[in-house]
Amino acid sequence: MQRISRNVLLACLLFSFALLVYPVYVITPFRAQGARELAVALAVLQARPVADLSICMAALAALVYYWRSRPRRWRGALATLSALLVFAFAALARINIYELMFHSDDHPAFASASQTKLDKDEKVIAVNLGGAARAYPIRVISYHHVINDVLDKTAIVATY
Amino acid sequence: MWNREIAGLRLTFHLAGINNQNFLMRDDQTGTYWQQISGKAVSGPLRGSQLALVHSDELNFGTWRSEEPSGTVLQDNSKYRSQYEPKDWDVRMQRTQTVMDFHEHGLHARDLMLGIRAFGASRAYLYDDVHQEKLILDHVGGEPVLLVVGPDGQSVRAFRDRIPEAAGAPAFYRRPDGILMDAASGSEWNFRGCAVSGPNQGTCLAPVDMLKDYWFDWRNYNPKTTVYGRR
Repeated sequence: MQRISRNVLLACLLFSFALLVYPVYVITPFRAQGARELAVALAVLQARPVADLSICMAALAALVYYWRSRPRRWRGALATLSALLVFAFAALARINIYELMFHSDDHPAFASASQTKLDKDEKVIAVNLGGAARAYPIRVISYHHVINDVLDKTAIVATY
Repeated sequence: MWNREIAGLRLTFHLAGINNQNFLMRDDQTGTYWQQISGKAVSGPLRGSQLALVHSDELNFGTWRSEEPSGTVLQDNSKYRSQYEPKDWDVRMQRTQTVMDFHEHGLHARDLMLGIRAFGASRAYLYDDVHQEKLILDHVGGEPVLLVVGPDGQSVRAFRDRIPEAAGAPAFYRRPDGILMDAASGSEWNFRGCAVSGPNQGTCLAPVDMLKDYWFDWRNYNPKTTVYGRR
């Protein structure tokens, strides 16, 4: 029982680490991605929340069983640390690091053209829908990358 | 610029990754991953779906404001303003490495192109060529198109070179002030592609979607692209 619990904990540690690291390794700036590895990385991302939950539950159960087998103190401590690491990796996996690098603007603000002070040669992406005209300065959207918006009742997303 | 409505849903997108120097976005509603450059869903419940493109132009602010004095402008988010690119961002970007390159047509990875994917074909124009010639009359997938530089000398628009009730592709030429003239009728056409005088007054040319992109990226997503002025 002690050995099984220990092996389950070790497997949980390895899997939770792999689930955390693999998508970040693949989906990285300045790294060419093949279509297949991207597909795998995205599939991992989609399966990860459920997988992590299962792994955390397995790690917790394994830890409980391991302690019940009365291990030596230092082994018990190591097992507890491993379980904590599993939870930590699962928690880290919830973080969208891309939005940490480039924060989203969830409530974009707009002002009239006459009130906006921009150099005349600043580049903008201009849209016109149903007579409603809007400009998105490239220096702004190239940071946020994604602006969810509604223009003339049409829901659009400006991307750069 | 994409329409967010698809499959009866209004999607909200977030940045979700970088894919060969374009980005991936993920919608909150279904968890599907979408490619920014193509608007295509590459993974998740809506995989294979295609967002509808919304026509947009890349213009100088001064030009846009003169055309749309009642328009609205996205404001800086004060929390992140300090992290926005500096004004010379495009010059700095020229020096950034790329993860791929295509040594074709004598082009370099970060050569700036204007790309048109329409009428069943893809065609790219070196921005410098367009900038120099000011007006290009060409064909994409057999359809006559024209690319024209605006009065500001930098903004570029593309249109179908067709006037309703006119046979063939009208032959335009560009005056130094940026006004387009069509030789047949003598009408004057502004940078929005609308005739402001002459027999065609009130008629507008149909805009053609065009993307300003680096050569490596345009070629990566348009493997069969042709290039204006290059074999």
